[in-house]
Amino acid sequence: MTAPVASNPGKPVINLETEFGRKRVVNTGIDEMWMVAATLGAGLAGSKAATYIPYQGAAMPFQIIQNHAGKLRSMTGGKASMPVVFIMEMTGQTPGFAGQHSDYEIDSYYAHIPGVKTVIPSTPYDAKGMMVSALRDPNPVVFLYPAGLRELVEEVPDEQYEVPLDKAVVRMEGSDITIVGSGGGMPEVLKAAEALTAEGMSVEIIDLRSLKPMDTETLVKSVGKTKRLLAVDQSYYTLGPAAEVIARVAENVDGAKYKRIAFPDAPPPASPEMFLWMRPNAGHIAGAARKLVG
Amino acid sequence: MSKESFDDHAEVCENGFSPSRRGFLKAAAAAGAAISLSNTLAYGAGESGYWAKDLPDEKLIDMFSTILRIRWHERTMADKMLTDPTYRGYNHFYAGQEAVATGVCAALRNSGPFDQIDLVYSTHRPTGHALAKGVDMKLMAAENDFRATGLNGGYAAEMHLSDPSVGFIGADGMIGPGPVIATGSAFAFRARGSDQVVVNFGGDGTYATPHFHSALNNAALLKLPFIYVVENNLYHQYAHYSFSVPMKDIATAAEPYGIPSVVVDGQDVMQVYSAAKVAVDRARAGEGATLIEAKTYRYYNHWGAPGAKPGELGAFGYDPLAISSFRPEREVRAWMQRDPVDICRNTLINWEVIDQAKADEIEATVKQEVLDAFAWAAEQPLCNPEDGLKNVFVDGVVEARQFG
Repeated sequence: MTAPVASNPGKPVINLETEFGRKRVVNTGIDEMWMVAATLGAGLAGSKAATYIPYQGAAMPFQIIQNHAGKLRSMTGGKASMPVVFIMEMTGQTPGFAGQHSDYEIDSYYAHIPGVKTVIPSTPYDAKGMMVSALRDPNPVVFLYPAGLRELVEEVPDEQYEVPLDKAVVRMEGSDITIVGSGGGMPEVLKAAEALTAEGMSVEIIDLRSLKPMDTETLVKSVGKTKRLLAVDQSYYTLGPAAEVIARVAENVDGAKYKRIAFPDAPPPASPEMFLWMRPNAGHIAGAARKLVG
Repeated sequence: MSKESFDDHAEVCENGFSPSRRGFLKAAAAAGAAISLSNTLAYGAGESGYWAKDLPDEKLIDMFSTILRIRWHERTMADKMLTDPTYRGYNHFYAGQEAVATGVCAALRNSGPFDQIDLVYSTHRPTGHALAKGVDMKLMAAENDFRATGLNGGYAAEMHLSDPSVGFIGADGMIGPGPVIATGSAFAFRARGSDQVVVNFGGDGTYATPHFHSALNNAALLKLPFIYVVENNLYHQYAHYSFSVPMKDIATAAEPYGIPSVVVDGQDVMQVYSAAKVAVDRARAGEGATLIEAKTYRYYNHWGAPGAKPGELGAFGYDPLAISSFRPEREVRAWMQRDPVDICRNTLINWEVIDQAKADEIEATVKQEVLDAFAWAAEQPLCNPEDGLKNVFVDGVVEARQFG
């Protein structure tokens, strides 16, 4: 089920409704609550189901995911069937569209819910592989899709393959500092890493990929080696994924130094001058890394 | 019932829907009957109900001028988007729908202390509503261009324009919550014993949201001074409304709630005004909510100006943003034959309120005002980046977190 959303101008689109027919795929009204609730209901009836929620309304169906999808397995003593995927489009990359259309915050909200896996791929390869895994997973999955990454291009296998829904990935190995990011923040993290590497710093980059469950082992192993952790969010500072990353590492690694970068605890203003100053970028990340290492 | 075909609803409006039916409505409500404004009843009442015809010349000219101000604001902004690569503003253009905002807001109280004026809740397509409610065009143009001295200091841009001083609570980028929030304002008026009313503008896309039904249900249960103006421009984003509405007239949806509803020709400002006046009178008198469905059309695509040409009105052809459906060019051109600017202009000339020369003079004045507004906006200062940390709470600033 999908709302009548826009596509990328000039980019090919597979129209699932015409591909599979309206009996199985429907373009709905702009009713995110129905889209999510009906997807869950289809799951409870024994069907695999998925929905695509455009970014404007990605928190509208929160209650259904938080209070139903997240709890039904437990509340039914394991009897509920929920092989469902909620694809949640996120923005946060585009200046000029103000609080509701330039926000990047639902990673924190959905990752907090028990009983729902919340994943956020940052590359085309991971997006395909994690989508396959999510659709095959018997648990409800919130599949966060940062719209700002839709222009990324990468060769991916034609056949179906799985990327695990519970493993972070080391994007670059190094020994001076660990920088952890996720989703829409990854291009800026990698850009910063490039600059820092050119300066002679040995940087280890971790892409979380899965916010819940969070891969503590990969994080702890890395910071155990580098002893410096810079956690980067595009989300608001308070209770964002970076806070969780630092807490998990701090519980398990002695003698490390920590720093956190995030969007301030403020709704994103429309003005590009304000927004671009507030949004964490490669310059901010590199600057904080230099302070931490230097 | 009030759900005639589009072709004959004009007569319904002209002939029916007058306040003398209040007695009937009251009686029916008391009897617990579902009410809808009946065509038969309207003819039976034998009253014109065409209130616009009784308006003073000055008011009628003001309405014509408002329609023109909206039209030229939209055209000028679309042309800027198309021709000026340095211009960063954008809009969900309202051109084609001008008579709806103008007719409705002409029936409202738009100036005075905040606790006496009527409130308007708008949508992601707000510039027409804003101008009709009295928002300053210069300040709005500056806001839409992200200027520090704009209407909302550059925080809002088009989708969050807000000016409580004229009762324009504001634009909203979301589909759904607006009307429910609006009923809360109506509840406050009832609680305070005020005769203020709330108008919520919403598109045909709002019908499919749970919020639409919650707003009507609670407005009916609590008899709130709430007017839901459904601007049915046939498309929600890129899909025809038949994808999300199971009936022809959304006005039908008010019936089960016992809320009077009417379908009006949204291209004719006089019909819109007449319907709005009756609804406002009812609401002020404590007689509850009304739903007005204005059949209308937007000349541009959902967002921005794809398919439009500089200097020409309207957008044609395939919208590159559309997936599942798009608007046939013949449909757009057919609607443009019933243009709200022309209809209003011809009506005023027929009524001998103005002549051709006067109409041209008004239009020339308006065009200059619009050009001046955009020129003023372009000279306004850009925002101070650090100010992004302000306006989170009433006082103070939040901490910068992006530097580590």
